[in-house]
Amino acid sequence: MDTADGKRFEPKILGFLCNWCCYAGADLAGVSRLQYPPNIRAIRVMCSAGADPAYVMKALLGGVDGVFIGGCHPGECHYTSGNYYTRRRVAMLKKLMEILGLEPERLRLEWVSASEGALFAEAIKDFTEKLKSLGPNPLKVKKRPGAVVGVKRS
Amino acid sequence: MAKCAEVVQDILRGMLRERLVDEVVAFGRGLTGSDILPLFITDEQDIDRIVTTSYCPSSLAKLVARYGDRNKKMAIVVRSCDARGLVEIAKRRQVKPENLYLVGIECYGVVREKRGEVYIFADKMEVDGEMMPLDEAALSPNCRRCEYPVPTMADISCRIEPEGDCLVTVNTEKGKAMLATASVPVQDAPPSDVAAIKERAARWQEKDFGDIKRMEPGERLDYWLSQFDRCIKCYGCRDACPICVCKECCLEPDRGLIKGGEYPPETLFHAVRLTHVGESCVNCGQCEAACPMEIPVSKLYHMLSKEVGSIFNYEPGLDIDSLPPVSMVDEEDLLKTGVDFG
Ligand code: SF4
Ligand code: SF4
Ligand code: SF4
Ligand code: FES
Repeated sequence: MDTADGKRFEPKILGFLCNWCCYAGADLAGVSRLQYPPNIRAIRVMCSAGADPAYVMKALLGGVDGVFIGGCHPGECHYTSGNYYTRRRVAMLKKLMEILGLEPERLRLEWVSASEGALFAEAIKDFTEKLKSLGPNPLKVKKRPGAVVGVKRS
Repeated sequence: MAKCAEVVQDILRGMLRERLVDEVVAFGRGLTGSDILPLFITDEQDIDRIVTTSYCPSSLAKLVARYGDRNKKMAIVVRSCDARGLVEIAKRRQVKPENLYLVGIECYGVVREKRGEVYIFADKMEVDGEMMPLDEAALSPNCRRCEYPVPTMADISCRIEPEGDCLVTVNTEKGKAMLATASVPVQDAPPSDVAAIKERAARWQEKDFGDIKRMEPGERLDYWLSQFDRCIKCYGCRDACPICVCKECCLEPDRGLIKGGEYPPETLFHAVRLTHVGESCVNCGQCEAACPMEIPVSKLYHMLSKEVGSIFNYEPGLDIDSLPPVSMVDEEDLLKTGVDFG
């Protein structure tokens, strides 16, 4: 899909990647020279549960086209249950996005272990394609700085 | 009408006298007699200032959580949304449930008038001293959606009959002890029939939420943005909400989301509060009543709590042992391997 100004639409993805699994998986994808779209900006978190729902919303309201959360497979979270919390929060966030009128597909959760570089590359490829078909974040199109940027008090 | 107040006052007076509680919290007449205020009563003499037909538009649940001494035993006169708020506050450990003695009053809806009074009624309402049939359109929007007119989560619940009689139902063991202190004989009444109210609630939920669900996503976004645009960030909704009991709210400046010296961005303001209280909203309507900009805040939060509740099979405010579904995990979580909760 092309944007209004005629440029090809390249979705911007914000990734919250767990230090113990997905971040290492992304690293592995890199050193193994697997090809995946360069659309993701990664933030390393100590556990997928570090992706606070408030920050996920802040990113989406600020105009990123998609948020990717990568966590350890069930049973493998370094802190035993962080990924289960994440799964519950993602379910809640998707409902919230739906109610507000943002496509819930803009938020994706994947389990990626440190050895699954190929899986990570595949997931990002797939997510990027999905976002391309969804088009840009409507809030970005609307140029709504008020969504996340405060106004200085005079 | 007076009869209900008398029965409730009698039960409360008995509890104070027998030292079952240290304090009674209820709405009552202020010193001038014409204003209705929340009262923290420790002296038996003041009990007859308590009113049961007219309520201030504020939540006693929130007041108790914020200003009450949690180590004191307190009797609180509550509607079911107040009681449900207290259950949620207890889950967040801001009150000690063993110290709370809840005197519930059945509530079929409140009308918020310009003068600020709020009335609770049976299925009739008092207008200038006369009993009139209930006008749904005049009820505040959250009350029309309310499925819980009977405060079954309180220790006792009092039902005001149209003739002004008061019937009391005991819900807990604590409730029995509370009634035992009353000086007039109080009967244990059978539970009320709530089928008509459930039907009303279902109809209005379908209307309020359906109107939003039927919009196209883009239209829905525009709708909420146009609502949020009016928000002046007075923090009134947060201050009124019984679930928002944090001592250090992350919507305050310089807590990672909002810069010091700036007005909070309106959409983010609500998005954050939605992620924090959305799954636990008890539809008390306090946020909407507080909002000076008439933003339909409780519709949004109630809708989210209903939607999230349907995934997790959770209803806030009813059972103190079932925790907010995004702040807990249980054994079944361990068995699921996928990324979707359902
Ligand atoms: S969000 Fe509004 S309706 Fe829901 S519990 Fe808080 S004050 Fe009550
Ligand atoms: S908005 Fe969040 S942090 Fe602030 S009081 Fe409410 S629940 Fe607490
Ligand atoms: S009460 Fe209304 S105007 Fe005030 S912060 Fe809440 S939504 Fe905004
Ligand atoms: S440590 Fe990886 S999800 Fe918790």
